[in-house]
Amino acid sequence: MSRPPDLVQGTLDLLLLKILALEPMNGHAISRRLAQVSDDELRVSDGSLYPALHKLEQEGWIVATWRTTENNRRAKFYTLSRLGRRQLEKETQQWSRLAGAITRVVNLRA
Amino acid sequence: MRIERWISTLPLRWRSLVRRGRVERDLDDEIHDHLESQIEELVARGLEPAEAERIVRDRFGHVDLAKERCRETRHMDFVDALLQDLRYAARTLRRNRGFAATTILTLALGIGANTAVFSLVDGILLSRLPYPDPERLIGINATYPNGAFAALRDDIRSMDVAVYAEGHRFTMQSGGDPISVSGARVSAELFSILGVPPALGRWPRAGEDGSPRDRVIVLSHALWSAEFRGDPAIVGRSVAIDGIAHEVIGVMPPGFTFPSSRTEVWVPLGLDPTNAPRYWAGDFMPAIGRLRPGATRAQALGELKLFQPRVVQLFPWRMPPTWNQDLAVVPLQEAVVGSVRSRLMILIASVGLILAIACANVANLSLSRAATREREIAVRTAIGASPARIARQLLTECLTLAAAGAVVGVVFGTQALAMLKRVLPADTPRLHEAQLNWRVLAFTAALSIAAGCVSGVAPVLHALRLRVRSSIEAGGRGGGRSVAVSLRVVLTVAQIACAVLLVITAGLLARSLWTLSTIDTGFRTGGVTVARISPTMAVCGAPERCVAFYRAFEERIRSAAGVQGAALVNTLPLTGAIAKRSFELEGFTPTSPNAAPLFWLNVVTPDYFSVLNIRIDSGRAFARRDLDGAPVAIVTATTAERFWPGENPVGQHVRFVGERAWREVVGVASDVRGYDLSRSVPEFIAGVVYVPHSLTGTMEDGRIPVDMTLVLRTPIDANSVAAMIRNAARESGGEIALGAITSMESLRSDAMAAPSATTSLLAAMALLGVSLGCIGVYGVLSFLVSRRTRDFGVRLALGAQPRDVFWLVIKEAAILCFGGIAIGIGGAMLVGRWLQSELHGVSPTDPVTYAGVAIAVAIVTLIASYAPTRRAMRVDPLIVIRED
Repeated sequence: MSRPPDLVQGTLDLLLLKILALEPMNGHAISRRLAQVSDDELRVSDGSLYPALHKLEQEGWIVATWRTTENNRRAKFYTLSRLGRRQLEKETQQWSRLAGAITRVVNLRA
Repeated sequence: MRIERWISTLPLRWRSLVRRGRVERDLDDEIHDHLESQIEELVARGLEPAEAERIVRDRFGHVDLAKERCRETRHMDFVDALLQDLRYAARTLRRNRGFAATTILTLALGIGANTAVFSLVDGILLSRLPYPDPERLIGINATYPNGAFAALRDDIRSMDVAVYAEGHRFTMQSGGDPISVSGARVSAELFSILGVPPALGRWPRAGEDGSPRDRVIVLSHALWSAEFRGDPAIVGRSVAIDGIAHEVIGVMPPGFTFPSSRTEVWVPLGLDPTNAPRYWAGDFMPAIGRLRPGATRAQALGELKLFQPRVVQLFPWRMPPTWNQDLAVVPLQEAVVGSVRSRLMILIASVGLILAIACANVANLSLSRAATREREIAVRTAIGASPARIARQLLTECLTLAAAGAVVGVVFGTQALAMLKRVLPADTPRLHEAQLNWRVLAFTAALSIAAGCVSGVAPVLHALRLRVRSSIEAGGRGGGRSVAVSLRVVLTVAQIACAVLLVITAGLLARSLWTLSTIDTGFRTGGVTVARISPTMAVCGAPERCVAFYRAFEERIRSAAGVQGAALVNTLPLTGAIAKRSFELEGFTPTSPNAAPLFWLNVVTPDYFSVLNIRIDSGRAFARRDLDGAPVAIVTATTAERFWPGENPVGQHVRFVGERAWREVVGVASDVRGYDLSRSVPEFIAGVVYVPHSLTGTMEDGRIPVDMTLVLRTPIDANSVAAMIRNAARESGGEIALGAITSMESLRSDAMAAPSATTSLLAAMALLGVSLGCIGVYGVLSFLVSRRTRDFGVRLALGAQPRDVFWLVIKEAAILCFGGIAIGIGGAMLVGRWLQSELHGVSPTDPVTYAGVAIAVAIVTLIASYAPTRRAMRVDPLIVIRED
């Protein structure tokens, strides 16, 4: 399984782009931030996180740089690229439309 | 957007492709960082490190799986597969060194031959001419004398035009001994049209080809280096050309070889309208042009066509309607290359066939291996390799072989190119421009990939159709006619067909060469030495002095020791030089009042006919008394037949246009092959006339010929002849430049240089083709025999005689052989007409050649099948049956 079943197809990309739009961070921090901001509602298995990040990198949406952490480990930090910013806007709009539509359907009264 | 993405991720892709180790390490580090951070976090919350690690690993899931999925995002798995295939291919080929070496060598021969010939094609036909804007340069398929050119230059608007007359010999003197140099008379614009700046000095200016006062010359780099030792102060120096002082105004750079690589000096035309004969009937010169901006070739042709009827009016006499009849304009490139194109096409087609044969051989060899590898492939299929993967593996193997073949082939090709340049006649246009460049290498690369794929197709097809189970069950030893067998038979038949085609081509060319070499030229070639004599103007400035000098000179030569005969002639046969004059004939009324026929005028001394053994059919040869007596002439048999059919030519009268007295025809000489080996005269010449070398034997410029060729029958060697000639000239009171001393024999073989070069190259390729074809026949028969060993064994055990087995194998050989020969002959009949232009006296479907080739190839293939047949007959039934 590439993604947890409770995550709508394609939304993981949006989440990752949004989180990286705030500040550059490494995979570990992304995972923690994701859990934090969603009150542990959205938890992506770590095994799925990295392939997703690598895919975004290959798409050119995020750019990786290497830094050395205080524990003297090499850590890979991801930054949103210009292309990524554009993609984020696009996906955010799509998401709002989709979410709005679904909300309207769900709120239908009999 | 897409492009931006492509560019921004390019470094990433490059990294994943070439820094694979680095990328892998990065992935490890990244995951490691993640796991460690989480463990630290948990430990900070008070967990035991071991416990923390367990939890973290548990949460992460399968690390290797995650890594694999990260790798997948790079889309580089095909590279892994490729590397794996390459490693596998290298390993299998190392294990089969014999196979690998044979294959690589076979392919290298094919690829090398193609590389070399393509270098020629590239240098001669494809690469642009070494002039600026070469596509605007055109060659004009027409010839113009001085006057017509001067009119054309003023008339035409769409292009700048220039004319050139190559092949002139000039006597050059600058201080030391006079030397004879090869030069071209050119119009001043030639240089600006070609646009190559001089290495030193300047080009002739417009108009410097007009007035006889401006006497300037341009030197070739080679002449400047050799004769003037590269003197940088050469420009402005005065040099005598044919006794007249000329100023050197420039030196061209080394690569400038227009009109030919033999041109040593360029002399502007000297357009002089007051000298009507020379102005209107001198050299008929080919023309080139550079289109002016905006003009097209069609416009240029249109203008030339309109000009033609106008210029005819300008002549002081009526021009024959055939003059410039097939007027055309072509890109200069085509005009320069001329007849070499068809020869190169024959060569490239032949090396293509060689490569096809080589590929078939490799395919055959790979099939043999595929047969022995049936088990290996079956096992790989059984453990899950997809057919596509196996096909790719086999193809990778062939491509690896082809790549190795290409590397060795390029080495062969360099050698072969050097050899080609030696074998081809030195005057082949642009020959020195042929070299191994990136275009040739790209061609070679493409060719070897194609060769790899082509030779890989058969084994791949075979592998894909392999019945996995039957193969494993049969223990890899099938019987009967499998796919592999029919593929191999088809390949071998194709190979023999290609070889037959090559041999027929070579055979036809050889027969044509033989015809040429046995042509009766009409004159003696053996034991005849010739030397070009160019007296200085001090001797030949005045006609009386010149004639007197030559008489004394000839007399001295004739009486020299060892000389059996000597004579002088203005234009020796087979040298390409022609002297033209318009003639009037008594009793012959031209179709129009002024259309006097153009004749080839030979000015000779009386012994010319006896020295060269030219037969006098009727009447008599010239005698001493003709030199000073009444003017006489001798015509050739064809000329007599053409102008006085059915009449006795002896006693008729002819005269030059403009000459007052008639000349009596005193004899008829048999025709000689004067222009080249296949023609007595070029098309525009109506006949051949001989006149004695005397004051009345003048050329079209009204002067007696200055340069003469001494024709000697003597056993003396060239060095002694040179010394003897110099002595005789000195004693006769004249200074001369002496051209190369050569023999009639070598002139004759020079005339065959181009066809004999093509023929020997084709013969070499035919030999190569047949050898490769024989390897193919041997291979396929050996394979058939080894496959049917059991069959033969059983037959022998059941009472068949070895003779019966012999016939079984020979039957197979005959199918290959006669199938191939039939197809090859069919192909040769189809493509034969392309050879037409290269064949003299032989039809492209010459039955003798075809039959000879068929028999020869049949014999050779049967010899190649000898060993496998013997093996089949010696099968020991006991051993075969015990094996099972």
